[in-house]
Amino acid sequence: MAASVEQQQQQQAGPAAPGAQQGASIPSLFMFPPMIRDALETDSSNVQDDTVDEVLPFLTGKEHSQLNAHGIPRLDKERHVRFVKKQLGVLPSMYVGADPSRPWIFYWCLNALSLLGEDLEPYRARLIETVRPIQNKTGGFGGGFGQSSHLATTYAIVLSLALVGGDEAFEVVDRRSMWKWLCQLKQEDGGFQMAVGGEEDVRGAYCASVVISLLNLPLDLSSDSPAYAAGHTSLLSGLGEWVRLCQTYEGGVSANHGVEAHGAYAFCALGCLSIIDSPHRSIRRYMDVPRLISWLSSRQYAPEGGFSGRTNKLVDGCYSHWVGGCWPLIEASLSGPEGPTAGPAGRPLEDTDVDDSLFSRNGLIRYILCCCQDMSKRGGMRDKPSKYSDAYHTCYVLSGLSSAQNKWRLVASRADETLLGDDLWEVLPHTKGEQIFDEDDRIGTIHPVYAIPQHRVDAIRSYFSSKEGF
Amino acid sequence: MPAKPKATAKAANPEPKATPPDAPPVTVGERSKQRYYQTNPVERRFEEVGFPGLTPAEKKTYTHARLILPVANRQVSLSNKTDREYWKQVTKEGLPCRRLKNNYNWGTDKHGRDISTYRIDELKKRSLSQAKLTALNVLHQQFLLKREAARSKGAKLPQEDIDQEKQRRQEMAVLKRELYGEIPGPLANDPEWDDVIPIPQEESQDALARIAYPDDYAEAVSYLRAVMASEEYSPRCLRLTERVIAMNPGHYTVWLYRFKIVSALKLSITDEIQWLNDVALDHLKNYQIWHHRQLLLDHHYANTLSSDAEAAKQFAKSETDFISKILSKDTKNYHVWSYRQYLITKLDYWSPFELATTQSMIEDDLRNNSAWSHRFFIVFSDPSISTKGSASTEHDPKVPDAIIDREIAYAQEKIKLAPQNQSSWLYLRGVLAKGGRGLDTVGEFASQFFSNLGAEDEEVTSSHALDLMSEVYHKQGDIEKAKLCLKELSEKWDPVREGYWKYRLSELK
Repeated sequence: MAASVEQQQQQQAGPAAPGAQQGASIPSLFMFPPMIRDALETDSSNVQDDTVDEVLPFLTGKEHSQLNAHGIPRLDKERHVRFVKKQLGVLPSMYVGADPSRPWIFYWCLNALSLLGEDLEPYRARLIETVRPIQNKTGGFGGGFGQSSHLATTYAIVLSLALVGGDEAFEVVDRRSMWKWLCQLKQEDGGFQMAVGGEEDVRGAYCASVVISLLNLPLDLSSDSPAYAAGHTSLLSGLGEWVRLCQTYEGGVSANHGVEAHGAYAFCALGCLSIIDSPHRSIRRYMDVPRLISWLSSRQYAPEGGFSGRTNKLVDGCYSHWVGGCWPLIEASLSGPEGPTAGPAGRPLEDTDVDDSLFSRNGLIRYILCCCQDMSKRGGMRDKPSKYSDAYHTCYVLSGLSSAQNKWRLVASRADETLLGDDLWEVLPHTKGEQIFDEDDRIGTIHPVYAIPQHRVDAIRSYFSSKEGF
Repeated sequence: MPAKPKATAKAANPEPKATPPDAPPVTVGERSKQRYYQTNPVERRFEEVGFPGLTPAEKKTYTHARLILPVANRQVSLSNKTDREYWKQVTKEGLPCRRLKNNYNWGTDKHGRDISTYRIDELKKRSLSQAKLTALNVLHQQFLLKREAARSKGAKLPQEDIDQEKQRRQEMAVLKRELYGEIPGPLANDPEWDDVIPIPQEESQDALARIAYPDDYAEAVSYLRAVMASEEYSPRCLRLTERVIAMNPGHYTVWLYRFKIVSALKLSITDEIQWLNDVALDHLKNYQIWHHRQLLLDHHYANTLSSDAEAAKQFAKSETDFISKILSKDTKNYHVWSYRQYLITKLDYWSPFELATTQSMIEDDLRNNSAWSHRFFIVFSDPSISTKGSASTEHDPKVPDAIIDREIAYAQEKIKLAPQNQSSWLYLRGVLAKGGRGLDTVGEFASQFFSNLGAEDEEVTSSHALDLMSEVYHKQGDIEKAKLCLKELSEKWDPVREGYWKYRLSELK
């Protein structure tokens, strides 16, 4: 079967034949600038035009030697795996800027490897030994040994430990001090600071919810928490209301109240809300959903096919996850729990083969496979063709690819509202509409809220669910 | 004709007696070898011809020389008399009782070069450097003792001594680098830091994503860990934070620590802001800088600005001036805009000036969505005309009609300049929502951006107008027209969002 695919490629888009691209069927939507363009030029329209010029040769196949019948190159897994593995090795001194965010590299790389189907077993012991000294006695993990605890790096380390799995990995975390520290971060207005004395933003709301629910921490607020004096008694009280005020007039979500809507913060907000209650309840309760969907949908551009992070900004591969990852949560909020997928004899769930997705999965897949792969010796995934690949983009571009290739459904809502993040989700390959990528290039899946594979979420949750108190 | 190999010539010569004198050695290794042969008689002959090839005299010397060592090393004990006889014989035969070992290990230098490959003069130079370093180290130890003694008496050393010590450490650093490739960092060389025991990061070789830190950075953060652990807030720590920030401005921990120092030492906030300005200009994309600035603002406000309206106004003015400078270089910098909003709220700086500067940024680039967002913020979050806690997408009855009218007119004016600019359309919608006005109130305005909908000669200059009008038609009960707008968007004008437009169609009832 692999041979026939290759033959097909040779016939339809052989590397040597000039004009082979014409043989591939690429919708004109992805080959030409948009239909409506204003005459007025500004800085923003100039860089946008430059970007379209930059990506078109990649979208139309001119920059690629091997294309399938849809004008799409293969996902070069081997090359990207090599790139990611290198990022986990010794990094040269120019990486000193990554010193405060090194735990992110663990998560980005391990998650990318997992999406690419690699075994993470060889990294378990190394990860455990690497993160141990990063944990502070006062709770949480910093960017490195001797650095203050930070919610972003704590989130990254908890997810990394969940990714490698195993009791020894889970036991690294000191839950009691983690709880105490989170109580320190909880603010009077219901939100979370990223570090003691650090900024308060919607990342804090998401990272804290993830950590609390994965580690099954008690929700009671300690009496020395800054929020306690303001009348809060739970780590999560007032959090939904706080997140609600992050939604902007555009419909998107900003870092904190009153700032500009931004794709990464939209994901954080929806992720947080989907943990504190089931998405069909909490997202509908705290968000203006029609405006949110409209704004999220506006993030997808043509001809690029990818997502931008803000209105009138450029596409960037990382928003494949930040915006692309919002869709399963939005869909769940619209549909509510759908019940289990019917077996062969049961009620057919799909009464049509028409793709009813809210965004263009194929547009995104096209952008990712054509523009975001570094096909040089370096490998890895990138923002756009003019940028270098890095671990961050490799993780989030692949995460976005996964969410475009697969379809998540909320099967059942949590039985008890106090069981944080206890909804039942199910994933199936997305098969509706035309499939433009080769089946071998379908990658692994990640939980729509926790951004790691579902069985990894289940394993860490079940490990800690037996723990009451500490 | 090829030259006859030397070895063959030598092997052919059975006459061992007259060993030619050695040529003076070039390298240290050669000299060691020569000395080895000098202290190990017959050894070279032995290597060349083996024991059977030796002359009887040589055999005797060779064997006797070997017998000395066990006795000399007291591995064999002899009675006093035998011992005397034994050494008499040794002296008579002129046998060496101390012998150099073969293949003496000289070690390697900082480049990994074997020292035995050094030329003699090179080794001399190296030894001299080592001697110098030893001598300096003696003086250095004296300094430490002297300082300790002075301290115990509550006294300080004269500045001259400290300066000499600084000079000395520099010389020692040069020598250490030259000899051993050790790079003692500038902090280890500074007597001011002698009382701090740095806490280095020790990681196993196979730690994940291990960074090969530059030496200076590794040293600076080692000292940082130590002073943070001891909760020291002092001027030297402030300087240390500056050093770390210069090498890695994204190091959030050092920023949080710096703020603690600034507040503990009650340093001038304006001086700190001044310093920060330069750092901000050097690192436009860094955002720790802006959070630090926010902390400084809070601190300054609590201590001074809250009770001094004039000072607050001055401060707001100088801050917004600087922000404008930064935004002129990076017009959509998220963290700068975010700080600007924080500043305005904190200092209640809802000035017409603020609206005017934002307006000029919008006019520079109508598509600068950050500037539009800021405008929305300063218009609709001003506590004098808005309800606290009102969500951005909901109606706020407190906002005066005149302001709603003004903002609608502003958005419409900008839409006309670039009808496909989504920023101004989103702004228009936002204003209408705040004012509790229906989209139908701008239906006529939006209708000018398309014509002959559904016909052959359909023209659309703004997909956002079609989007808005589908909602207007829907509200007016004209479902068919609403559907037509969405259908045209889906099929023709904005097909990448086909899934969304179809969803909207399915919602129409």
